[in-house]
Amino acid sequence: MERREVTFRIKRFNPKKDVRPYYQEYKLTVPRGMTILEALQFIKDEIDPTLAFRAFCRSAICGSCAIKVNGFPKLACKTQVFTELDKFKTSLLTLEPLDNMEVIRDLIVDWDGAFERMKELKPYLIPDPKVVPDTLDEETRVYPEELKKYDKFTDCILCTSCYSICTATQIDEGYGGPFQLARLYRFAVDKRDGLKEERAKIGYAYDMWNCVRCEKCADVCPKHVGPVDAIMRLRGISIDIGLKDNPGARHVLAFYKSLMESGLLNEVLLPLRAKGIKGVLENLPVGIKMILKGKAHSPIMKPISEHESLIKLMKAAMEVE
Amino acid sequence: MEMVAFYPGCAAKGASKELYESTVAVSEELGIPLVELPQFSCCGAGVLEEVKDILDIVVNARNLALAEREGFKTIVTVCSTCLLVLKRTKYHLDNDDDLKEKVNNLLEKEGLEYKGEVDVKHFHWFLLDEFGEDELRRRVKKPLQSLKVYPYYGCHTVRPYEILGYEPSENPQSLERLIRAVGAQPVSGERRLECCGFHAFWPNPNGSMILTGLNLKDAKLCGADCIVTPCPLCHMNLDANQGRALKEVGESFSIPVLHVPQLLGLALGIEPKRLGLHRNIVPVNC
Repeated sequence: MERREVTFRIKRFNPKKDVRPYYQEYKLTVPRGMTILEALQFIKDEIDPTLAFRAFCRSAICGSCAIKVNGFPKLACKTQVFTELDKFKTSLLTLEPLDNMEVIRDLIVDWDGAFERMKELKPYLIPDPKVVPDTLDEETRVYPEELKKYDKFTDCILCTSCYSICTATQIDEGYGGPFQLARLYRFAVDKRDGLKEERAKIGYAYDMWNCVRCEKCADVCPKHVGPVDAIMRLRGISIDIGLKDNPGARHVLAFYKSLMESGLLNEVLLPLRAKGIKGVLENLPVGIKMILKGKAHSPIMKPISEHESLIKLMKAAMEVE
Repeated sequence: MEMVAFYPGCAAKGASKELYESTVAVSEELGIPLVELPQFSCCGAGVLEEVKDILDIVVNARNLALAEREGFKTIVTVCSTCLLVLKRTKYHLDNDDDLKEKVNNLLEKEGLEYKGEVDVKHFHWFLLDEFGEDELRRRVKKPLQSLKVYPYYGCHTVRPYEILGYEPSENPQSLERLIRAVGAQPVSGERRLECCGFHAFWPNPNGSMILTGLNLKDAKLCGADCIVTPCPLCHMNLDANQGRALKEVGESFSIPVLHVPQLLGLALGIEPKRLGLHRNIVPVNC
């Protein structure tokens, strides 16, 4: 069996003892197929019993072993050492605790803030008495096509990988968070839920429009949940229930209008359409520079060829159940 | 070389005109037969999904089907967000037969059908796949020696890997390969894969500018002479909004930001004017 010499550079920190975090290196001979978690366990058992990390199920179900491997969140139990070595063309792997959370010790982070935020978003079924019977004698049937709307969002294992790498979380303390907002959406489209679409108002209050759509949450999720998809749909629901007078919703509607008018985005009218006069004034200095450099089209745009056909298709799409 | 359908996207037709100009100039120089379909519509930048998810799919299935109708095997785009939106549409249609049937029923009424035969590529992927670094290096007339370039990927050419699938999202190398091919030196920056905040610019302009400012600052710290990006939206934040972004992070320097075909075009010896370099907001001295 193939074996390789691997250096694990692990970020260590014991807040009770250490002034600041430091890196410690461990050299191991790793056989093909060994996971990062097995390597960590080997280090703890054979080299350094003081190394702290979290792990439980070892089957990518419990979500407890998420750490950063060469800068990216991974479930240690699901990630093989060789795969990472090959990806980064290296013999050294840096293991660090997840970001956006306080470190309790070494690779263990404090989840409380992330989970408190989730609780604030009410991620549980508030039964709709019209749909859910009040006794257990009857069942509430959910048909496959109904389940399809939110099925993948129920796969979240709360590993906090997405939260740890979320760009919006880094810049906005009031942001709801990726897995948290995905849970909110999951109930917003569950026919058994009493709040349903009204849940989009919670998302709105928790800055869902500040998601930058960096797609990191979709990329790092070990269960392919893709929280960003839920956030986009939750935004859509907020527009449907009438939360239209905000820059996010107005930006969306500006796109729709542009496509109906010409088939192309009218960039020149976008500041006005998205944010009104304020949008124009805020962007005026940059706008003037761009106009002087010939970087602006006419506000009246020539429609694309076969534009009528696009309009028909858009209208038909809006009619689809 | 087989003809390819050129999907410039709205930014390259307006606020990033220089991207359109440089792409056309580089393609002429390298003999890439780009054909822009006048029927192509805006991809909706992912925003149409927020109106209704099937609307986003139908609009972009139409774009894909138009290219198929005209017999193209490849769509090449110069916009990272257009790339992701088109590829995501393709991904959903190719992996969900019910959805494909539903969408094709609508397209049929307009004389279109999505078969799944067309591929979507970013221009810089296309360059690397069709020519390779060695061939590009041979075509270079003016190597950009001693130029230190910060490869700024942004988001939508790398993530999510499941949909884009061109190179590992955690360690992409396509821009570095191109930078080396033109004789320049890529600098390694921590924020090359970070977001510029463009897509939250309207709801959260300050947040967007902080992210852009941090990215610019990283490029400066790495000693880069310029930044190169495959995305016109990132470019808009990094170039047109540079002053505002740097102010947000307490800095005040200036660093030129080039589109991929602008960098390549300079190395191919193309006139700066044909590359639209005079349109960049931060002046590019070449």
